[in-house]
Amino acid sequence: MKPDYLKICILCIGFTQWILQLQAQDKIPLTGLGFFQDPPSSWSIVGDVNSGFEDKAVLSLSTGTGILANLTDMSHPGHDILTKQLYGGMDIELDYLMAPGSNSGIYLQGRYEVQLRDSWGTVLPTSADNGGIYERWNENKPDGQKGYDGHAPRQNVSRAPGTWQHMKISFQAPRFNGAGQKTGNARMLRVELNGVPVQENIELSGPTRGALGNDEVPRGPLRLQGDHGSVAFRNIKITSFDNLPPALVNLKYAVYKGKYEEEIKFLSVPPESSGTTEILSTNITRFPTEFLIQYKGVLQIKSPGSYHFSMNLSGGRGSLKINNQGVIFLGQGSGRGSGNITLPVGEFPFDLIYSKLVVWDQPMIGVEVAGPGIRSFKLSDANVGADHEDPILVSADVNTLLRSFSDIDTFKVTHAVNVGSPMKVHYTYDLDKGMIVQVWRGDFLDVSSMWHGRGDGTAHPQGVVLQFGRPLLAINDLGSSGMQWSSDTSGSGFRPKGYIMDETDRPAFQYFIYRNRVKDKTTVLPNSKGIQREISLEKSTDHLYLRLATAKNIETLSNGVYLLDDKTYYLRMDDTGQEKPVIRAVDGQMEIIVQIHQSVRYSILF
Amino acid sequence: MIISIIGAISKKLNLFFLLAAGMVFSTAVLSQAESPKEEDYFKIIKVPAPQGIILEVGGICALPNGDLGIATRRGDVYIIENPTTSHPYYRKFATGMHEVLGLAYKDGALYCAQRGELTKLMDLNMDGKADVYETIYAWPITGNYHEYSYGPKVAADGSFFVTLNCTCPPFWWHMQSAVPWRGWALNIKENGEMTPWASGMRSPCGISMIDDELFYTDNQGDWVGSGSIMPVRKGAFMGHPASLVWSGMPNSPLKLTREQVYAIEPPPPVIFNKDGQEVQPRNEDAGKFITEFEAKKSIPELQLPAVWLPHGILGVSNSEIVKIPEGVFGPFQGQLLVCDQGQSMIDRVFMEKVNGEYQGAAWAFRSGFQSGIVRLAWGTDGSLFTGETNRGWGSAGNASEGLQRLVWYNEVPFEMRAIRAMPDGFEIEFTKPVNKKNAEDLASYSVESFIYKYQGVYGSPPVNPEKCPVKGVLVSKDGMKARIIVDHLRRYYIHTITLNGILEEGTSYSLVHPTAYYTLNNIPDGMKLSLSGVSTHRSSVGMKSNATSKNPSARSAALNKSVTYDEVKPLLQKNTCLSCHNADTKQVGPSYKEIAKRKYSITELVQLIHHPQPGHWPDYSTPMPAMPQVPPADARKIAIWIQSLQK
Repeated sequence: MKPDYLKICILCIGFTQWILQLQAQDKIPLTGLGFFQDPPSSWSIVGDVNSGFEDKAVLSLSTGTGILANLTDMSHPGHDILTKQLYGGMDIELDYLMAPGSNSGIYLQGRYEVQLRDSWGTVLPTSADNGGIYERWNENKPDGQKGYDGHAPRQNVSRAPGTWQHMKISFQAPRFNGAGQKTGNARMLRVELNGVPVQENIELSGPTRGALGNDEVPRGPLRLQGDHGSVAFRNIKITSFDNLPPALVNLKYAVYKGKYEEEIKFLSVPPESSGTTEILSTNITRFPTEFLIQYKGVLQIKSPGSYHFSMNLSGGRGSLKINNQGVIFLGQGSGRGSGNITLPVGEFPFDLIYSKLVVWDQPMIGVEVAGPGIRSFKLSDANVGADHEDPILVSADVNTLLRSFSDIDTFKVTHAVNVGSPMKVHYTYDLDKGMIVQVWRGDFLDVSSMWHGRGDGTAHPQGVVLQFGRPLLAINDLGSSGMQWSSDTSGSGFRPKGYIMDETDRPAFQYFIYRNRVKDKTTVLPNSKGIQREISLEKSTDHLYLRLATAKNIETLSNGVYLLDDKTYYLRMDDTGQEKPVIRAVDGQMEIIVQIHQSVRYSILF
Repeated sequence: MIISIIGAISKKLNLFFLLAAGMVFSTAVLSQAESPKEEDYFKIIKVPAPQGIILEVGGICALPNGDLGIATRRGDVYIIENPTTSHPYYRKFATGMHEVLGLAYKDGALYCAQRGELTKLMDLNMDGKADVYETIYAWPITGNYHEYSYGPKVAADGSFFVTLNCTCPPFWWHMQSAVPWRGWALNIKENGEMTPWASGMRSPCGISMIDDELFYTDNQGDWVGSGSIMPVRKGAFMGHPASLVWSGMPNSPLKLTREQVYAIEPPPPVIFNKDGQEVQPRNEDAGKFITEFEAKKSIPELQLPAVWLPHGILGVSNSEIVKIPEGVFGPFQGQLLVCDQGQSMIDRVFMEKVNGEYQGAAWAFRSGFQSGIVRLAWGTDGSLFTGETNRGWGSAGNASEGLQRLVWYNEVPFEMRAIRAMPDGFEIEFTKPVNKKNAEDLASYSVESFIYKYQGVYGSPPVNPEKCPVKGVLVSKDGMKARIIVDHLRRYYIHTITLNGILEEGTSYSLVHPTAYYTLNNIPDGMKLSLSGVSTHRSSVGMKSNATSKNPSARSAALNKSVTYDEVKPLLQKNTCLSCHNADTKQVGPSYKEIAKRKYSITELVQLIHHPQPGHWPDYSTPMPAMPQVPPADARKIAIWIQSLQK
């Protein structure tokens, strides 16, 4: 079962949101190389790739379609590949898989590079690491200062080589006037690596090192780097945002004092105040506490098509009409809503009403619009509404432990222990089950919702998270390896005993199960590659099994090394006391278990 | 010659006393203005803590070696060495726990309740940090924020008690018990064996062990009219029915069901607003109601409060109770102190047993702490440590957390030391001899009684108020006791005993705290006094009256006239408004200036005093209780004054 990163990382998403695109995404067909200009020979279309995490830069390919792979080595140098199509502003989303030690990149317009790299285990990433915005280069500067304006990712949220990683980039092309002069810099609006925002609204002063040309252009090809290592891509989706956005002009406002709960009855009274305004805002302090404000203006549409408006307001009702057509209506208590309208090029009346009914709420209205090939943007003043809270973050600069509630998929773990390490690899342990429910790489915890006000008791991991599904007992008493794993603790005699800290403040968990005493200790692997877990029993037994994982699929790579969940992470058996793990199908998933006599030691590399 | 006599005497006595000779009332007024206050006897000292440590105290424990253990809501345990000095030293002993709300010491280990378990902390390698975090017993929780877990307290046999808060649903006025054993007290042995002990708790933060007996305080809310001190006996039901969903479990010590409670007092109706959303049911000003003592006739398991702590006067969220050790705080040794999280104050309680049941008197003791007090513990020097946090609720005081201590100046204040129930009234013992003349004047005493409703609606206004005429008084020869004969005593009722006219012999100081609240669960048998043997003299003037003015002309005067703060302040005090509000700053509730900004009309303000709308103030976590008992004339004056703050 694929861990649901998006749901988890919605908590990490800031003000800009990924809204429903009006333009259908173009998924690049990877049945052949026809989408690309003169594709170099290192590139091919394949059905599967494998690299594992140990052999340097080796990528083995299997026939089929759907994956664009670049295979290079010392004797077969690779080259970059370019699309035939040219792009201006765009969103690109894709999966990619790095061979160990490999290096690649996504060049927007062939000129602005987001670095792809096997940065597995790097604790302090630079701009040359996975998710970084690559440096610019000035040959004329002294040595050591030739590279500049590289922008490191906020955290290293890379996965292991040989696994599929996910990249999502929102790019804004440079803007030019009629004479061809640049009037606005290109921007990386957002770069999200494995579901975690690593770059937001970074201005690009010029092309990055190794650009297709040192000129900047309104449209250029997408370029994927192929001269620095083996890499594979799939599920490449591109959305263009090249059209001219609408503008709201001639904006006038009128404020009516009073509580207008019904449809507009205010027109018969003179407004308390009125005037023109540059921007649609509620920040006019002379408003009385209950009021209605009407904005009238002209919406200039420069690109024909279907436009999507969204509005949010606090403490009242509101409506939006464009071209005398109702687009959005918000009754009291709705708070937010949206609507669509199809418009040709031209100018149209814009009529917005906000009726503030609730005395004690701060006035706040926000209006956003997205259109055909037009990125969503705010038509209204961003500086409205109540203050935002300070985030509260817990870092693990030393080995750090913090208990909390934890949201694992749709389940709430109530006796969760989060264990963080300065090596930037962390895990959460469910004391009720003896199970590790998630691991992550990156920063430790966001506890804003836990420690503001009364709090909700829940801590959220900050980096790239790997969750392991519904929490179940780690150990079961099975008559045979074919018996089903129990869904609860009945009959197990499970009793948690807490944990003991070692000399570097790492916990060893203890519990009783099936009248046996269990010790369960996890450490971070060298070079931050994942975790190693050792589970040992006080009394040797013949009928206890350890549930290692459950996943969509499980590939056996070599003796004792497995690749799970559509190449998301690895399991490596380090010591199973001669027992061989058993892989079996359960409810449409694959489950891997191993018998435990005295102890089992294994690693999760991710 | 007269002039010289006046001159001589005026050196000792106030000049006004001469000019107003015989007017006891005037004397009382001025002496009250000059009389020492609680802060003249007890000092609040801040315990320094290194900047950056977030204390948010959830537990305090005095350790045998004089160190102080502190547990925080952020999950840490600190051990503070030399905590009573100007340079206390902090060590972080344990960390990473989930909202620790109690701390206890036993046999070299620390024990604490966190959200999901009772944990034992041990430092085996003696590096000053706990290495063992042993789960003694883990209980189920749902992840609801309100399922706080408190304790432990150590019993005489070495076992532990913890108490568990109810689950708070979105309709917060109707607490629930979503999993075992929310709303219960549990006994847990060192080996993890758990015995459910008592049920019916709502917000049992104030779990306490007094002389090896388990007590606790609960907080005003649904089914709890006001805070109070209650003993927790095995198999008892404290009053809130939510926890009874688990009384059918095989190891439950009582079989009482919710239905049995609802048969005596039905839960309030579920009501909806016009948008179809469930809203808080309101207190019915008129209409029938029952009291807890009436309910107990049909629910024998119901534990009545030993000592009520009237809401808004002696706290809004009472917490821990401690006993004053021998040799500490002078005349108050052996009595109880109980703290409050909302009014950031400490009350004093004298408890006695009559006919085998606890009852007694409560007074305000000390206010002015910097934040809401949740925990108390004694220092080796006889000072009292206060552990404070108000995050999520708001409180009096200007800080959101703190660790302070209360120190006695070693001078005995003029106070009621104790009040004991008598077959025909009360015997009041003083800390210092009283002026006999005032003490023998019945006008110096005022007694009224009231009670609270037992209802599922949030809180209760004081109800059934009646005067209790004082018929006679016998003052002891040494002036240390005054026994009053009081008519119309009502069993179970809270008797408000106000001694505004009592003065100290010699200094003519008033009592530091002239009002006591005596919970009369039992009226003792014994000899009644004969009226012929006591003083029945009542002077004509009488002392400051607490009586409400029902004078219609006063009401109409209030309609027209503006009101100054000096005029409104006594009303704000009398009606307990000042326990949660002040003019300028946010306390438990919004400041009056903030309220004024809302531009409510006079009628609206009066209505909101009687029937508040907590939804108007989403940033404030503690809902204002209904206060229909505020007389309309008072409410009107207060409303006029608040309006005048609009600028």
